[in-house]
Amino acid sequence: MKFVVVLFIVALVAWYLSYSATRLDRLHHRVETSWANLDGLLQRRAAIAIEIARSEISDPASSMLLTFAAHQAREASVRDRSQAETGLSGALGILLENSNDISGVIEQDLVRELRELTEKIKMAVAIHVDAVTRTQLVRKKLINRIFRLAGTAPEPVTYEFEGDVL
Amino acid sequence: MPLSKKRIGIVCPYGWDTPGGVQSHVGDLAEYLIRQGHFVSVLAPAINDESLPEYVTSAGRPISIPYNGAVARVLFGPIAFSRVRQWISQGDFDLIHLHEPAIPSISLLACWAAEGPMVGTFHAAAKRQKVTFAVAPFLEPVIEKLTARIAVSEAARETLTEHLETDAIVVPNGIYATRYSDGALDSQWSGNTIGFMGRFEEPRKGLAVLIEALPQIVTQIPDIKIFVAGPGDSREILKQIQPSLRSRFTFLGKISEEEKANFLASVGIYIAPNTGGESFGIILAEALAAGASVVASDIPAFDSLLGHGEYGTLFESENPQDLARKVVTLLHDAELRKGIAHKGKSYAQGFDWDVVADKIYDVYEMAMVGGAKVTLSSENRAWNKFLGRQS
Repeated sequence: MKFVVVLFIVALVAWYLSYSATRLDRLHHRVETSWANLDGLLQRRAAIAIEIARSEISDPASSMLLTFAAHQAREASVRDRSQAETGLSGALGILLENSNDISGVIEQDLVRELRELTEKIKMAVAIHVDAVTRTQLVRKKLINRIFRLAGTAPEPVTYEFEGDVL
Repeated sequence: MPLSKKRIGIVCPYGWDTPGGVQSHVGDLAEYLIRQGHFVSVLAPAINDESLPEYVTSAGRPISIPYNGAVARVLFGPIAFSRVRQWISQGDFDLIHLHEPAIPSISLLACWAAEGPMVGTFHAAAKRQKVTFAVAPFLEPVIEKLTARIAVSEAARETLTEHLETDAIVVPNGIYATRYSDGALDSQWSGNTIGFMGRFEEPRKGLAVLIEALPQIVTQIPDIKIFVAGPGDSREILKQIQPSLRSRFTFLGKISEEEKANFLASVGIYIAPNTGGESFGIILAEALAAGASVVASDIPAFDSLLGHGEYGTLFESENPQDLARKVVTLLHDAELRKGIAHKGKSYAQGFDWDVVADKIYDVYEMAMVGGAKVTLSSENRAWNKFLGRQS
């Protein structure tokens, strides 16, 4: 009888551990997806920023600033990414706020594309931040720490973004 | 952007046969996506299988249960669960979109059974309840599987953050703005008139607040008339009204979509004195799109929909004196009334399905980034293997 009870408890614990591991694995997967999505959008934004730098909207000084910020954003590591992207947002914001003359067809297209992209980036950030917070929360649970259920998956990094620049 | 055709599954938690906000939202969305060329399958509880549109699959007969102060027609249980799993595994979906996954119905079951790109939409706005703390531990591991969450209003988003500590993107409910944009002015409804629409017997719709405000309005505007459109028994309501004022009420019963556009375009003021229980206020968006001058109670959903009073006039909820004051001011000042209505009309274009569905599809795209398909969840797979079942 004792043996059966012990076996049952062992089975229960094993099931719970495997359940928790699956849950964590899925959360990490969610973070990867949401980051891939955000990363893709940010890359596109940097590309547009460089095109704007080359266009009529931008004066030489702003072009330099913008190109510099865009390259920095592209090359930043995951941890420094949000800061670098905020720098790019700032550079774009200053330029577009001060240029009244966005009359060319190409320029208007660029600005519209940028505006649409910014909307999407805001959504992507919200999705990503939520995935990261949730994952960090579950990783902190005692059982997951004791049994190291997160395995070798890296601790997800949260992303801060000042989305209201544009 | 190249549009690739996707296979999308949508789960509606409430019985398809009963009219309701979530059902019509799901239906409109599904039809929009189909017009865009996607394959769409909707899974919903239904009483009558034959009368369903082609794209709806029945998950079984809904069960009526009291939930959150109203009767909800939902579906759960082992048979429903196996239907949900079958629908998921046969659908070969690129994405599934679950509506109200936090209520006990098939959306929750689907969320539990599936894995992959999943989007959830939260419609309800509710006050924080003690019971939420008891159910949160069960709900959280399920809800956290959703790749992205959508809330239909700020109020719904706050409910979600409070109850389940998770954030959502706000995408409003959709309306067919063009259907309402050119309603004809019908002289029988125009002038010093107030229009009301909805199930007026339900106390939370607030018709009683308007009735209480009427004596005060009549002293200022002697020729005021009130038109009530919507299903229900008017005799009971008329008993609550002072006999001398009864003649000012006209009950129109249920009106057609076409009449609705004319009705909203004609009435002097459209009123929504709801006392609560609203999450979005789709009828207000429609009224704005029709160019009506709107007066609404300042419950959170309406306050945010009307831009804190910019696109319509707000009065203090359940305060008949305030309602009367606002109505009288507006009816005395045609310029003011038209100004607000004009602003509201262009603002309401933002709720058009073309805009809203595009936003929803943006969220879909974000969830589908990895390119993975929706499959049965791995816990279930393990169980299926263990039990020797085919998944």
